[in-house]
Amino acid sequence: MPKSLFILYESAAGFSLFFVEGFESIASNTEEFQEALSEFVRFSKLVKLVAFSPFITAEAAFENLSKLSEYEITSNLSNFLNSHLPKVKEGKKPKYELGVFDHKLAAVIHEQLKLPATSSEKVTEIIRNIRLHFERFVDHLRTSDVIKAQLGLAHAYSRSKVKFNVNRADTMIVQSITLLDQLDKDINTFAMRVKEWYSWHFPELVKIVSDNIVYARCVQLIGDKSTLSEESLTSLEKIVGDEQVSKNILDAARTSMGTGIEEIDLINIRSFAARVVKLAEYRKHLHDYLIRRMNTIAPNLSALLGEQVSARLIAHAGSLTNLAKYPASTVQILGAEKALFRALKTKGKTPKYGLLFHSSFIGKAKQKNKGRISRYLANKCSIASRIDCFSDVTSDIFGRTLREQVEERLKFYETGSCSQKNVDVMRKAMDELDTIVKKTHEDEERVDEKVEKDDRMEEENAQHGTHEHKKDKSKKKDKEKKKKHKRKKDKVESDDELSKERKHHKKKKIDKKSKEKNQQNKMQI
Amino acid sequence: MAFTPRGGGGSGFRGGGSGGGNFRGRGGGRGRGRGNGVSKFGSRGASSGGRGGRGGGPKRSGMKGGSKVVIEPHRHAGVFVARGKEDALCTRNMVPGESVYGEKRVSVEVENPNDPLVKEKIEYRVWNPFRSKLAAAILGGVDNIHIKPGCKVLYLGAASGTTVSHVSDIIGPDGIVYAVEFSQRSGRDLLNLAKRRTNIVPIIEDARYPARYRMLVGMVDVIFADVAQPDQARIVAINAHQFLKTGGHFVISIKANCVDSTVEPALVFAREVEKLKQENLRPIEQITLEPYERDHAVIVGVYRPTKKKSKTSHYEKEGST
Repeated sequence: MPKSLFILYESAAGFSLFFVEGFESIASNTEEFQEALSEFVRFSKLVKLVAFSPFITAEAAFENLSKLSEYEITSNLSNFLNSHLPKVKEGKKPKYELGVFDHKLAAVIHEQLKLPATSSEKVTEIIRNIRLHFERFVDHLRTSDVIKAQLGLAHAYSRSKVKFNVNRADTMIVQSITLLDQLDKDINTFAMRVKEWYSWHFPELVKIVSDNIVYARCVQLIGDKSTLSEESLTSLEKIVGDEQVSKNILDAARTSMGTGIEEIDLINIRSFAARVVKLAEYRKHLHDYLIRRMNTIAPNLSALLGEQVSARLIAHAGSLTNLAKYPASTVQILGAEKALFRALKTKGKTPKYGLLFHSSFIGKAKQKNKGRISRYLANKCSIASRIDCFSDVTSDIFGRTLREQVEERLKFYETGSCSQKNVDVMRKAMDELDTIVKKTHEDEERVDEKVEKDDRMEEENAQHGTHEHKKDKSKKKDKEKKKKHKRKKDKVESDDELSKERKHHKKKKIDKKSKEKNQQNKMQI
Repeated sequence: MAFTPRGGGGSGFRGGGSGGGNFRGRGGGRGRGRGNGVSKFGSRGASSGGRGGRGGGPKRSGMKGGSKVVIEPHRHAGVFVARGKEDALCTRNMVPGESVYGEKRVSVEVENPNDPLVKEKIEYRVWNPFRSKLAAAILGGVDNIHIKPGCKVLYLGAASGTTVSHVSDIIGPDGIVYAVEFSQRSGRDLLNLAKRRTNIVPIIEDARYPARYRMLVGMVDVIFADVAQPDQARIVAINAHQFLKTGGHFVISIKANCVDSTVEPALVFAREVEKLKQENLRPIEQITLEPYERDHAVIVGVYRPTKKKSKTSHYEKEGST
């Protein structure tokens, strides 16, 4: 005898439970049956409402939605199900099934509440039709009420999604690297403008001082070239950093063929030059900031590639997590999409490198080895980015090790000298890391209580936010990691295999990680 | 009659939108600079410079009251055409006095049917086909967009809400549009838009997982999808299985390059159509979005079609009128 079927239907208004009296999945495809389903009178004969429990407040609705979307069972739901489903005697198999929309949720209900939850095409089909008629099943519930509930709930849910950004720290990197690139461009154009403008007055200076910023400083100092005298030589020397050069400037100023200039024009040129100098200083600050951020967020990648190139990679991928998910082949041509797609269309040669071109390794390699080293480097990059993204420990040991490996590879291409075995190199790095982990663990235990208290503060203090998080994560994860490293030791022979496997494991981990993060954030809210 | 782009060589459309919007050269022999045409929308009271060089434009009775722009209803319900010096597609603004993304607004005075002495002001928002694929499809002469006043729409790939705002105009206060967007950055703009327009339900979630937003969405009449993903057909299908009424419609915009950049666009479209058919989404018509977008197609179809002949011919009839 087939088991009877209950259906759990979650709406924005509340949970409801339906009992299915007759619903043949075989017939569900026929037109007559479909037509019958779309009429409430006929559908309500097949499916009966057992119970409806509305959410009391908007907050309760939001809590239920956000927990359910992460497959957690709320007390609301378990109470509702337990009180309305028929009781099952201990040791006996239940005589009914509970149809749930989401198969993952069904599994969780089955596991935690010990209820016979299932999900199948038939269930989805019934839920489809319940959704169509839902308002008419429940007394005193109008369509406008349901829509109002949906609207309110959707706003709350979406707001929380926007508010909580997993890649918060990466966004800072993306913004600052783009600003840095923009500043470089702008400073260059502005400096050209200063040169152009001031050269009407003192054309010889361009030849003597070639550096843009030094030139702008000189303009600031000199002003009217006729006022330049022996007295200003020392301060001029400070700027250009060479006695001979400053003397040259003085000589040139005396014999200059430039036009005279009015005071008011000079004031403007000077203030513009000051702006350029300020901007250059700001750029330097920003660069320092970026380097500091990169060293905390992606230490291994920065150690391998340098901060700026790795920041560009992150910016191009969107976030560090995205970059970590990319296969090495994608990393290799990141930034050369146009060339790649052109090549794919015309069946020509695909590009050898994209953003990676700016790393020092490719410049060092000979023409015929550029592609090879790029491929090798991309492999190492993807390993480094994965370590950065998923490691709990902040250290650049792997980055430095990988860098050495790339350098050895370069040497191998040039001289044919044998490089160290990957297994040995990685084992060494692992040992080094283990000692660090031990150290930090000891430290951590000491400050553990303190950290917990300060956690909230630090979280907002985005400086170290993500890293404290990483450290705080359960030791379970640590163990998992060690296991993985063991596997790694066994398998390091082939890079490709390694990266494939890592990818597989990482994917699982990503889900878990983002969930945990979500949880933590919610607790704060 | 379908409203087709007018104008000499290029499209008769101007980018009404942000900064410049000089998308295409104008047709020759129009005789006027750009500024003039633009000012027409804004200041109706200004002295007329004549109707440009466009002789023989349809002069309608609505010209009275010194207004330079005449609004005509479009074949599709809820969509209008502003006939001025330049024709423009527009929708009736649900929140008068506000632009969503910097688009032009046109307001006209209409006689109140109850009291002929009192004049009512109605505001329309110009709909730029270069920024909205739905507008491009309408101008491309699609038979039926199925989005009409009072209907419920599931909009996948809402982005910042440019097109969503027009859809919200079309469906009006009785309809509802569930706007799904994954990106948090665009989602921010979408949320702000939804604050002003209560018929938009903003959902910041991945459209690949409809289970995550199952509590927020009811059954809908139409699914509009502009997600530009390789597995677009699958995304539409799983959403249709959960949320689209039997006999409901779908409108999908497909960017060939996003699905497969190595084969011919036409082949990509054919493959997508095949995928849709397997999921019980039967395509009714397909148009390309030239000249507004390159290698784009819009496919309109019906979900779980009923086999009655009369019903399909009904669609055709609706389209042809």
